[in-house]
Amino acid sequence: MRPEPAQNNDVELLKSIAAADEAAEAALAQLYDRYRAILFGLLMRILNNREEAEDVLQELFLQVWRRAADFDENRGRPFTWLVTMARSRGIDRLRALASRERVAVAGARDEAEAVSDAASDAFRSEQRGLVTTALAQLPDEQKRPLMLAYFDGLTQSEIAARLGAPLGTVKTRMRTGLMKLRELLAGKNYL
Amino acid sequence: MIHSDYKEMIPAHALSALDRADEHALKEHLRDCEECQRELADWEATAASLALSADPLEPSEQVRERIFTRIKSEKSPSKVLAFPSPQRKRWLSIAAVVLFAALIVSIIVIYQQNRTRSVELSGTPEATSATAKLTYDNTGRALLVTNGLPRAPAGKEYQLWFIVGGKPLPGKTFNPDNTGRGTSTDQVPDAARNAAVFAVTLEPAGGVSAPTGAIYLRGEL
Repeated sequence: MRPEPAQNNDVELLKSIAAADEAAEAALAQLYDRYRAILFGLLMRILNNREEAEDVLQELFLQVWRRAADFDENRGRPFTWLVTMARSRGIDRLRALASRERVAVAGARDEAEAVSDAASDAFRSEQRGLVTTALAQLPDEQKRPLMLAYFDGLTQSEIAARLGAPLGTVKTRMRTGLMKLRELLAGKNYL
Repeated sequence: MIHSDYKEMIPAHALSALDRADEHALKEHLRDCEECQRELADWEATAASLALSADPLEPSEQVRERIFTRIKSEKSPSKVLAFPSPQRKRWLSIAAVVLFAALIVSIIVIYQQNRTRSVELSGTPEATSATAKLTYDNTGRALLVTNGLPRAPAGKEYQLWFIVGGKPLPGKTFNPDNTGRGTSTDQVPDAARNAAVFAVTLEPAGGVSAPTGAIYLRGEL
């Protein structure tokens, strides 16, 4: 069962924003309401700091407002576009903070109100379930490099150093892990 | 390296985990390889699914307020900033060297047709050795070439401004390459074509609607 209706709707919303038509602002509000919890959760996981994560979230939606025309539906889903931008901005901010030595100490994680699955809609909680289940099927040695790259913004060399593993091994495990994730998700019609 | 080597690097690139040299090499290859571009889009979708493994969290209500206060103060930003998308993509996909050569040729052609204006921008104390030239035709289509700008820090980009009667109108953002050369195509707003100050500032990536950063380059008609 491929969850297309919501996606098509997202494309229409982005088109409305890109056209700066009279519905553009309402379209941005809809996108914000639909994705704010996922994107903010992602940014909090990366930054561990509520103030910074909220600032990046705000920048992100201003970018969506100004740059909706950059979205190319032939290249992927709106979800992928939003998440990729959010993650990239989050990692950039993390690096900027680290270089200013202001990064939150691990463990001093800011508390933010968790959203129950009931609060987001059923479609996305189903997708979250698929991803969580797929990840649980990956061996830890493949999952860790993926997580360190995605949420901590580490490069392959940095991951090798962190895990005390040879670079070639890290490269192989990362590729194998992502391939396996893709297969598992494709098998569930997620992708 | 051959095509299959590059293809193997794509999943890590989708996680932006390649080390600098690998990333640089792959980006060069991606410019010309449509198959790898499609492959990258596919891997990016898989990588994006990892976001769903983070617990969704509720941002404070002020974020929404700040976003909508900001956009209300902007007038149709997409229209001001929009440059035909396929055209920009084509520009982006052309190697910098080719772009620069094309730029020179088009400047010469436009000059010969005697329908252009050209403005020299010079570096401010932020970048004393920086120079730039903005050339545009009678439809406002503009080409900006900069030299000697420092690389923009992570999360930042340079942005062009058209200042008319003291009011800055936003242009596009760009990033200089490793040699400090930056090129950007833009559209000069009607109001700015005959009497304007042109400036380049350093701003958050993606650009802003009103300048927030330091001025690096400045020039006027």
